[in-house]
Amino acid sequence: MNKIALAVAAAFAATAFTSPGAFAQDKTIKIAGFGAKSGVVRGFGINSEAALLAAADQINKAGGVKLADGSKGKFAVEFLDDRCTAEEGISVIRRIAGTDAVVAIGPTCSNVAEPLFGILQKKVDDKSDSGLQMPVFTDVAIKVGLAKISEWAFRNVPNEVTMYSSLFYWLKTKHPEMKTVFGGVEEDFAHSRATWYAVMKDRAATNGYAIAGETKWLLADTNFATQVREMKKANADIVAISAHPFSTCGVLKEMQRQGVKPKLLVGLTSTSTFETMQGCAKQAEGMIIPTSFAPVTKEGKAASDATAKFKGAADLHSMAAWENMFILKQVMESEKISGNPKDVQADRRKIRDGLAKLKITKGLMGETKRTDDREADKPYLFVQAKGGHWTVLHNPL
Amino acid sequence: MDFYFGLAQIIGVHTLLGLSAYIVLLTGQVSLAQAGFFAVGAYVAGMLTVLAGWAILPALAVSSLFGGAVACAVGFPALRVKGLMLVIATLAFGEAVRLFFFNFDYQVAKGGVKLGPVGGEGFRQIRYFPEHGWTTMEVMLFIWGFVILAMALLWWFDRSRYGAVLRAVGEDELAAQSVGINLTAVKVSAMTVGGMIAGLGGGIYAHYTTHIEHASFGILLATFALAYPILGGLESVFGTVVAVVFVQGLLVEGLRFLGDWRNLLFGALIVLAMNVRPKGFLDAPALLWIGRIFRGRRGAA
Repeated sequence: MNKIALAVAAAFAATAFTSPGAFAQDKTIKIAGFGAKSGVVRGFGINSEAALLAAADQINKAGGVKLADGSKGKFAVEFLDDRCTAEEGISVIRRIAGTDAVVAIGPTCSNVAEPLFGILQKKVDDKSDSGLQMPVFTDVAIKVGLAKISEWAFRNVPNEVTMYSSLFYWLKTKHPEMKTVFGGVEEDFAHSRATWYAVMKDRAATNGYAIAGETKWLLADTNFATQVREMKKANADIVAISAHPFSTCGVLKEMQRQGVKPKLLVGLTSTSTFETMQGCAKQAEGMIIPTSFAPVTKEGKAASDATAKFKGAADLHSMAAWENMFILKQVMESEKISGNPKDVQADRRKIRDGLAKLKITKGLMGETKRTDDREADKPYLFVQAKGGHWTVLHNPL
Repeated sequence: MDFYFGLAQIIGVHTLLGLSAYIVLLTGQVSLAQAGFFAVGAYVAGMLTVLAGWAILPALAVSSLFGGAVACAVGFPALRVKGLMLVIATLAFGEAVRLFFFNFDYQVAKGGVKLGPVGGEGFRQIRYFPEHGWTTMEVMLFIWGFVILAMALLWWFDRSRYGAVLRAVGEDELAAQSVGINLTAVKVSAMTVGGMIAGLGGGIYAHYTTHIEHASFGILLATFALAYPILGGLESVFGTVVAVVFVQGLLVEGLRFLGDWRNLLFGALIVLAMNVRPKGFLDAPALLWIGRIFRGRRGAA
């Protein structure tokens, strides 16, 4: 009996000595996702969470993240709902900062991103600024120029100025007979409002279109009769709708009811999603949107399928969340984070510095350039609604 | 710990909002204008610290005065109507204020950057607290200093002749008028004090969130302002604090881990609370019970 016990003990000892780390538990690298999982834009949060979980699963199955001491860390993702409100967004980021999450990915809404970036430290190492020191890598909130609010804020969202500039230029070349653009804007949502006034309207005019007018509605509106009447009266060649899927569908249905048929429909980049096809595929037929994602590459298709397994849809926003996970893995490895809970603040700083150093990242559609103000210049293409799907219309790059 | 200090900040700001509605409710008036006064305070204080470079204290003092002045101006015409008409009148005022800020553009170039409110896009970079090195705990203590001041003022009112007059008007206007109480003066004064507290709360809110926009001051906020004192009970100022802790601490933050279920439970728990405690968390029997406990302890000591 003693001999058997001795043999078992020897076997354990041999295993322990021959393969150090065989019994060492993988470290957990906590990533905190957050965004809207309630309300009108809840679809974005649900899709982002699915993409984060799918990417983490893929990274973990491939071995995880290599840490400073040579061991491997496994990603653990927790996703918190901020209900697309500023107060809750701030509360959520404070909650995340109080945990051992090394980085936060989110938020969904630009009206949450603005205050949230505002409570972060504005300039790194500014001792007089008591702002929160937590790297935030945004996947969805897309309103132009938000990352410059804080040096702890980074975004992997498409550059709308470049995309719409390119779109209106292409349309002018392709359809020179079209001369006028009429705008419809979801006035109370930071992103859609800013995109119409600062991007679409300006880019259309720059490319030689006459602005025939504009009409406004609110995110939660359900009646668009007056706005569509204005649209009908203007009789423009192109109707550009800067609104999210919920109200875009409302407007498109009202346009159908009133028989408004512009020669061309242009939509907001955030509308090139599954929700639009679910809500109003028939009415959106022919709508053209510039987007930073379509499952046209092998990697894109794989990411889309993996996200579907976690009950999420792949679109330009959720796939940015997917990309963020892989970018973060690369940064964590290059910056050699320790993954120890006691070093969490040092690891956060390493991740911030690593993200700031990036000049180019690998995305699902190709290479993304990183700008000095911590924004992304992502590859893009134009998609068109056709037969209930978003199909690639043109790849300008 | 910062998270809890941050939560205490939210509870403090919402308590000020609730207290602003509490004093108006004492006179039996239901006002949905508190979110409007809150918005006025937020924009005024934000503009004073960001654009004019004022320190936080004078900025909050002016935002409070502005809130009070607007409330006083609204009070005269609005309080001529009663009941449901007043609800609609104050709701209309709140929406008018929100839409004003929705269309309000006033930007000033500072250090090569344009700062100030930009209509629907809001007003960003109200960063007085972090820029002056205030820690989360210091901000929390600062906010609660004002909350305690406001509560002490209302507690003192409740124990003064003025408080008795407010409650008399709230109980029976006709009876109050018959004993010589000037109803307009009482109602407008309550509205003004409520406006001052809301203006102060709004000023703090702007600096707490660093970014404000019209959408933050809509009907939902006005409903919360009313719900806090009603849910907490009108017998004591402490009821409002209890209700804010219940809503913001338990329902909003405490149940966040429930994900989508949180929103369903949110409404259900408020309905349940109102059914179990129809006169508020701190109704007369509850206050009597708490009083007995304290008296008992003091007696034992």
